[in-house]
Amino acid sequence: MIAYIIRRLLQMIPLLFFVSLVVYTLVALQPGDPLEGLIFQNPHLTQEDIEALKRAYGLDQPIYVRYFKWLGRALQGDFGISRTYAIPAVEFIFEQRLPMTLLLSGTAFLLAVLVSIPIGIFSAVRQYSIADYVITFLAFVGYSTPVFWLGIMLLLLFAVWLPELLGLDQPIFPPGGFVTPGVDPDTVGLWNYLKDRLWHLALPAFTLSVVSMAGWTRFMRASMLEVLSQDYVRTARAKGLSERVVIYKHALRNALIPIVTLMGLAVPGLFSGAVLTETIFSWPGMGRALYDALVEKDYNVAMAALVFLALLTALFNLIADIMYAVVDPRIRYS
Amino acid sequence: MKNRLRQIGILAAVVWMGLAFAGPRDNSLVVGASQEPRVLGDFWAFVTSQAIASEIENYLWAGLEFIDQDGNDQPYLATEVPTVENGRVKVTELGEGKKRIEIHYTLRDDIYWSDGHPITSKDVAFFYEVGKFPGAPVQDPSYWSRLGLKVLDDKNFVVSFEPAYFYDLVGSAIGLAPEHVMRAEWEKTKAEIKKLDPKKDAAKITELFQGFVSKFATPKALNSGSLVYSGPFVLKRWTPNSALEMARNDKFFITPPGGADKYVQRVVYRFIQDTNALLVAILGGSIDATSSVSLTFDQARAPQLTRRAKGRFDIWMVPGVIWEHAEVNKFKNVQTVSDLMLYKKETRQALAYAMNREGLVKAFFDGLQPVAHTWVHFQDPNYNPNVKKYPYDPEKAKKILAELGWKDSDGDGYLDRTVDGRKVTFEIEYVTTAGNRIRERTQVFFQNDLKKVGIKVKINNAPSSVVFSNDFFSKAYDGRWKGLFEFAWLFGIVDDASVFTCKDYITGDVYVPTPENNYSGVNFGWCNDEFDKLRAQAMVEFDAAKRKKLWQRMQEIWAEELPAIPYYWRSSPYVMKKGLVNYIASTFHGSFGYPSTQAWLIGWEQNGAKKIYDQADYATPVIAR
Repeated sequence: MIAYIIRRLLQMIPLLFFVSLVVYTLVALQPGDPLEGLIFQNPHLTQEDIEALKRAYGLDQPIYVRYFKWLGRALQGDFGISRTYAIPAVEFIFEQRLPMTLLLSGTAFLLAVLVSIPIGIFSAVRQYSIADYVITFLAFVGYSTPVFWLGIMLLLLFAVWLPELLGLDQPIFPPGGFVTPGVDPDTVGLWNYLKDRLWHLALPAFTLSVVSMAGWTRFMRASMLEVLSQDYVRTARAKGLSERVVIYKHALRNALIPIVTLMGLAVPGLFSGAVLTETIFSWPGMGRALYDALVEKDYNVAMAALVFLALLTALFNLIADIMYAVVDPRIRYS
Repeated sequence: MKNRLRQIGILAAVVWMGLAFAGPRDNSLVVGASQEPRVLGDFWAFVTSQAIASEIENYLWAGLEFIDQDGNDQPYLATEVPTVENGRVKVTELGEGKKRIEIHYTLRDDIYWSDGHPITSKDVAFFYEVGKFPGAPVQDPSYWSRLGLKVLDDKNFVVSFEPAYFYDLVGSAIGLAPEHVMRAEWEKTKAEIKKLDPKKDAAKITELFQGFVSKFATPKALNSGSLVYSGPFVLKRWTPNSALEMARNDKFFITPPGGADKYVQRVVYRFIQDTNALLVAILGGSIDATSSVSLTFDQARAPQLTRRAKGRFDIWMVPGVIWEHAEVNKFKNVQTVSDLMLYKKETRQALAYAMNREGLVKAFFDGLQPVAHTWVHFQDPNYNPNVKKYPYDPEKAKKILAELGWKDSDGDGYLDRTVDGRKVTFEIEYVTTAGNRIRERTQVFFQNDLKKVGIKVKINNAPSSVVFSNDFFSKAYDGRWKGLFEFAWLFGIVDDASVFTCKDYITGDVYVPTPENNYSGVNFGWCNDEFDKLRAQAMVEFDAAKRKKLWQRMQEIWAEELPAIPYYWRSSPYVMKKGLVNYIASTFHGSFGYPSTQAWLIGWEQNGAKKIYDQADYATPVIAR
């Protein structure tokens, strides 16, 4: 197992080089460069001015030269300065955006896990009951609902329609953002600040969790049903064990194996953020950061974010494979 | 049941909420914006130059002059606006059509930075020193290369321009930066820059300049008190990706009528990138007014908003200097251009007659965005109302096309003609930015109009980053785009007609993008010598009346030749809560229409603020339907 892990870790090195090269080339080959906005604002820039600006932004070099310059600095931990925010790209991603993404995605993930597993079990155990049909129906609806539509609908419902209906002059949930302007621990105390942050987190986290919740509920149900039809479950029941013990001690453990793998593979997605949800709820996360960086050709931020995400994806794929081996004794790596 | 729901609702709201939302209750203003500045206080625009940053900077920093709601220059930090009449502007002939001007400014005695330090010529000299330093990545090299400065004493200095252009007298001729705060860091940066070669190490030098600015202008730096302010407000706290708060500056030298305490004490900008989510926030009542960068035109007229407006807020359409138009590829060497004779003015005139611009503006915008006749805005003092116009007239269009030799010889409904033995159908390519709903609908509207006169339209859209890339936009000469290209220019209070200039008689530059000049410039193949000569004269004509005559003749020529098809002038929508006064968005306020100009006057009527200006004088209200 250790040998397997070490081999996988070593394989990541050439993989990351390859990914960084491909990503850098694709980003650089996109139409346009950071200068075009400037040139557009100034129709009377002369050829000399444009050449000088190209030199100033390091855009006078061919792509492969720029890549190796970037690689050289990146290997020393210097991912450059964000052209649009004027702070180091790494600081921008790790201090400003990543924590916000982890908060939102992590909460959505937790919510989805806490809801989908018990509901999936419930649905499987009461197969073909009215409750099962209702849950299945809601799961399909949740799975098919576009996240951007759901987000806007929830915003309208809780920030406009319900307050109007109830005659309130404040929204029930805020229309986006992650904190009320002016609210911080110094002005209102830590407890009120945390309450405000939680209040802002509720709708976006719920919106983001709906699709996973729906999918995992169905998956849990299917997995549970498969396990419940196994011989050893019938044996456990025949032995006279209570239904509770049969389900939670014997069936659930095995039913969880595929779910755990699925959730493990979803973890890298926690870091990449959710650009649609973040845009609608004005949540400053990695999704929007990456999208904005690509559109505005902020190469340093785009490269730092993409390389980081490639590393995380590779790492968590490995962790998911290891977890699979841990929970399922039949799996062993050599 | 409704009562019970209401109780639960109130309880939930009370339990969950933080501070109450701002507004007239605590004499503050909450502005909603769909963009957030990256940095504030980048006085030289080394890092970026954004409209939203300029708008917010109007609250925080004062210039020598400002442009008022009527588009006139007003003194701000300077005692008076320098003019030839008051002897503060001297014009010298240099020969060869070039001129030099010297502008004498005197700073007021009662102006201070927010830390109490007086504002002096040293701050102007510091601004000049940094911008002039070799290797500075300035965005307008022409301004800096022509600029000169001579400091006379602490309050007097002379700004010079050589060669000078008329627009050098519009607005503040030079900026300021707090020398006593920034000098130390600048000396360090200068020492680093001096070690490098401006040609070889240009990129590194750029980084050093940007690094210098980022020590002062990033949210982190500003929150730690890195800069001082000269405007009516100071920055209290900037939470990136959320909001920015400003509080009244007690060192500001202008007191509004009745006393500053009767006007807003706190301004909060809320950044909501998605305009739909921003609309929801407005509907929910948490926004008092919108910024110049906020809702789209259609959103401001949405029934959802207009239905809820009565008694709560006003919705205004402010005429903007954003010129929506279709450029025409006039390069004869491009086969399609030659076949369709787009290089001939008669063809372009026929297109203009055939496109029902009045109908479009009525159908799509209820007339709120007026038809344009030339590239000059109708509120520009040099506007010529008596130029040739092209009202919708498909019969006239057909006649012109027939005279050019077009006829429908094969009965397919589209015009054709024979060129060197080949049959050529009048099929014109129409390019615009994909995903822009209004533009895409405009294309279909005009496609229909042109079909009626026998012209086939081939729509060819792509995302703006593609169509505006150098490889596409600038290469009309190579036929990258072959017909019409719809987009907009943002002109501002100063227009130097460089978009339609072929040869700049003053500098010798050519603004037609061809392989010879490495595709620089945006004049796609229209060269009119009279226009260019008039423009060169106007650029150095400091007498407004004489300049107006030249500019009017230029518009006559333009309207006759029609190098581009003018569509309409875009209006900017603003939503403002009732009771808010002196938050004025007008075409030229602060040069680009910023309602944050004269921010010391913004207030709530219910809190005693005096209404000095009426928004109704500068905008059209959107009536709820």
